[in-house]
Amino acid sequence: MSQPLNSNLLLAIALLPLGAAAIAGLFCRVIPRWLAHWVTILGVAASCGFSCFVAYQVFFEQAPVFNGTVYQWLVTDGVGMQVGFLVDQLTALMMVVVTFVSLCVHVYTIGYMADDDGYNRFFSYISLFTFSMLMLVMSNNFMQLFFGWEAVGVVSYLLIGFWYKRPSAIFANLKAFLVNRVGDFGFVLGIAGIVYYTAQFGGASLNYVDAFAAAPQIAAQTFGLQGTDGVNAMTFICICLFIGAMGKSAQVPLHVWLPDSMEGPTPISALIHAATMVTAGIFMVARMSPLFEFSPYALNFVLFIGATTALFMGFLGIINNDIKRVVAYSTLSQLGYMTVALGASAYNIAIFHLMTHAFFKALLFLAAGSVIIGMHHEQDMRKMGGLAKVMPITAITCWIGSLALIGTPFFAGFYSKDLIIDAVKEQHHLHPDNGIVTYAYWCVMIGVFVTAFYSFRLLFMTFHGKPRWKEAAAAPHEHAAHDVHDQTHPLPHGEHDTVGHEEEHDHHGGPPHEPGWVVKGPLVALAIPSVLIGAITAQWLLFGGGFGTSIFFNAENHEVMQELAHEFGNWLSFTAAAFAHPVVYLVAAGVFAAWALYCKWTHLPDRIAARLKPLVYVLENKYFFDAINEKALAPLARGFGKVFWKVGDQGIIDGIAVDGSAKTIGLFAGIVRRVQSGFLYSYAFWMVIGLAVMLGWFLTRTLN
Amino acid sequence: MLVEVLFWVFAAILSVAALAMITVRNPVHAALLLVLCFFTSAAIWLLMEAEFLAVVLILVYVGAVMVLFLFVVMMLDINIEEVRARVTRYAFFGAIVAGVVVFEIVSVVWSRSGAEAGRVAQSLPADHSNTAELGKLLYTEYVYPFELAAVLLLVAIVAAISLTMRKRAGLKQQNISKQVAVRREDRVRIVKMPAEGGASAAAPAEKGP
Amino acid sequence: MIRLNWMLVLSSVLFAISVAGMFINRKNLILLLMCVELLLLSANMNFVAFSRVSGDIHGQLFVFFVLTVAAAESAIGLAILVVLFRERRSINVEDLSTLKG
Repeated sequence: MSQPLNSNLLLAIALLPLGAAAIAGLFCRVIPRWLAHWVTILGVAASCGFSCFVAYQVFFEQAPVFNGTVYQWLVTDGVGMQVGFLVDQLTALMMVVVTFVSLCVHVYTIGYMADDDGYNRFFSYISLFTFSMLMLVMSNNFMQLFFGWEAVGVVSYLLIGFWYKRPSAIFANLKAFLVNRVGDFGFVLGIAGIVYYTAQFGGASLNYVDAFAAAPQIAAQTFGLQGTDGVNAMTFICICLFIGAMGKSAQVPLHVWLPDSMEGPTPISALIHAATMVTAGIFMVARMSPLFEFSPYALNFVLFIGATTALFMGFLGIINNDIKRVVAYSTLSQLGYMTVALGASAYNIAIFHLMTHAFFKALLFLAAGSVIIGMHHEQDMRKMGGLAKVMPITAITCWIGSLALIGTPFFAGFYSKDLIIDAVKEQHHLHPDNGIVTYAYWCVMIGVFVTAFYSFRLLFMTFHGKPRWKEAAAAPHEHAAHDVHDQTHPLPHGEHDTVGHEEEHDHHGGPPHEPGWVVKGPLVALAIPSVLIGAITAQWLLFGGGFGTSIFFNAENHEVMQELAHEFGNWLSFTAAAFAHPVVYLVAAGVFAAWALYCKWTHLPDRIAARLKPLVYVLENKYFFDAINEKALAPLARGFGKVFWKVGDQGIIDGIAVDGSAKTIGLFAGIVRRVQSGFLYSYAFWMVIGLAVMLGWFLTRTLN
Repeated sequence: MLVEVLFWVFAAILSVAALAMITVRNPVHAALLLVLCFFTSAAIWLLMEAEFLAVVLILVYVGAVMVLFLFVVMMLDINIEEVRARVTRYAFFGAIVAGVVVFEIVSVVWSRSGAEAGRVAQSLPADHSNTAELGKLLYTEYVYPFELAAVLLLVAIVAAISLTMRKRAGLKQQNISKQVAVRREDRVRIVKMPAEGGASAAAPAEKGP
Repeated sequence: MIRLNWMLVLSSVLFAISVAGMFINRKNLILLLMCVELLLLSANMNFVAFSRVSGDIHGQLFVFFVLTVAAAESAIGLAILVVLFRERRSINVEDLSTLKG
């Protein structure tokens, strides 16, 4: 039985969080705290429930794909702009992920932000974010996609700078917004290209269905300046769209904002910068699979960027000491993995990894937040250690999340990650001469080792080993920890308030303790899918036609998924077969290395760092991306702005055009004024001269 | 033949007198030259057999208007020196414009020298009365404009007088409206004084109104 | 007999002279008024010429009225001149420049 989806239900899913955000936000000064969090939690919970129902309808009842306009906003020059929904398997999956993680974060926030003055505002923001993300994933046209895209960017800005009195937070949120803006520039160019080309093939349109229908014809066009060969139009459009994804999903070189976004409170790091907003780019590329499949060059570009991000961001996670930033670099690396999957034409695997990653990365962030609360807002891992005894549930859930992240067999991340690596390997078999595929393969393989290493480094430094916090509490404590310069691990230059505190908070003193069940509950709720969801859903979602028509494969690349389908069998056989591949052993090697360096022989990291000083220098400066941005690109942009402002705006437009025209009239009037001599005889004389001239003109006409 | 010669003579005198009028320095001389202009133009009109207008020109224009001009010229205490100075500064430009105007008009006129402009006046019988002809028209068809012209002259009289009349200083006149609008308080003031009786030391108390 | 075009030329010469007189005379207001009289005379000359040549007496009648109006206008003009002289003690035209822009 396939009932069509109810459009009112879909509208409710999107609008309930908006309404809750409006109530909590507009009345944030007058309503009590319990009202703010109950309204928003009920809104998001209802959205979550309805989303699960819709997902059930889509996946299990084979409901037809819902593609409809809810509200037509305007039609301009033949292009219609509307609010519309496209709900198919991909959308339904994203909706469930977004609302479920959002719900967990809402509940978690009750405990995390309990002491904060901006409590109501925070709930309003995260509800607003849920609305924006839902509009993004449920959209059926580019305009609404862009609206959701920008809206999540705005809410991310608001949330990163939530503690707006801190200069580091303001720096971070501006950085995030501006870097996203650079990506959006490419995105808008891509959308413009879509409109331009759909205008040539059956009417300009922003709707997905029209763009997808025109895709084969667009792929036959070239786009370039007059007289040049130009590039393939589809390649150009896809690369522009991907630049937007690079900004939003923090791929190299537009990744610089994500570590700084850790200035915001931990719940939003979990919600936005792990599970949902950063995955918007991945979602968008998967949604645009009918377009990307026609451009192998674009796919190669995607693959290259993703592989670079996956590996090199992992390296940065090795040397960082801030617990949140390690998880942030881990997110960057995993986003790279998802992008690699997209580049290898394995879109469903990318989405699958997105889903599993959402669960275990949110779990890891929330666990880190729990540790931070327990440590009275201390974030430096060098001051932690041995917390497993005092925070058992946090430790266990963190272990589960880490095991899922590194790809331990049977955990969720194992299936998604290994499938990505297999997809790249398949591409390598199909196209052995493609250098980028080879590069990507090596990157993802080495990345497995690096991921395992930094994840377990985090675990060992935080939860096991010597309880270093006891010594730190005994000695007189300095809040301004950036004065403390370790000789062996000098503070990275670009990091601002990193190992400081999340809040200007008085030290409570006393040993760390585990926070209450509002914090632990979501941790457990997220741990369960981290373990199970991979095994359960892998087969039917990826290979049993789970994604249906939502993802499109071009004939040549279809082979990757077919080959993988042959090899997969079912979850058990895949796991068993994995032991024959090097990946599992790389994971084990990473775990062992972490144990060796941070549990057993803890003096070794310092000595290794001392030997590899230049390498450490490069890593600590984050490959100098921040330095280039701050010292070269930003001043360049500011210089441009200054020129346009002083010379263009003030000088030319104000000075010459506006004031200048007024002054010209004044000058002119000043000259003409002298004709008014006040002497009547002069006026009479000029009348006579005029008469003479007119007479002369008439005469010359009549006499000739 | 004689008529044409006379016409040329008078026309020459007229032009020269007009030119002289605008260039002489003494305003009295200028007025008198204008009188000469009028006389010669009256002569020309006589030659054109418009005798009524010629006489009217002399009587009204010379007899009244120019006399008025001479009155004013002689009455005003004009500084001759100032008037004399620098009259030739703009002469060149003025002459140019005047020359252009004359040239244009003459060119129009001479271009139609054939039939139209070369017409001559028809000769009239000897007892034709120009005055009677004008009178007939004036008192029948143009009576209303005639009366209006009379009113116009009245208006001119009134205007001229009201402009120039000066009030004699120290002249007392009655302002009737002020006389009627006067109030008791402005005119009468009651002063109370006790009756004087004997050499009492009481000082008289005065009470104001 | 007197030709029409001679009369027209004569009247145009008078007109031009009076206009030039208005322009080149800057010092004497009375002279200005006299030039106006000359202007009117030239117009009257034109009227008379056309009236005689075309045999239409209406032209001369018009001269009659023009004369009336000219007399009235010169009287008032002189009255204004007298009042002005009382105020300013000068008949210099260039002093009358309060309309200056």
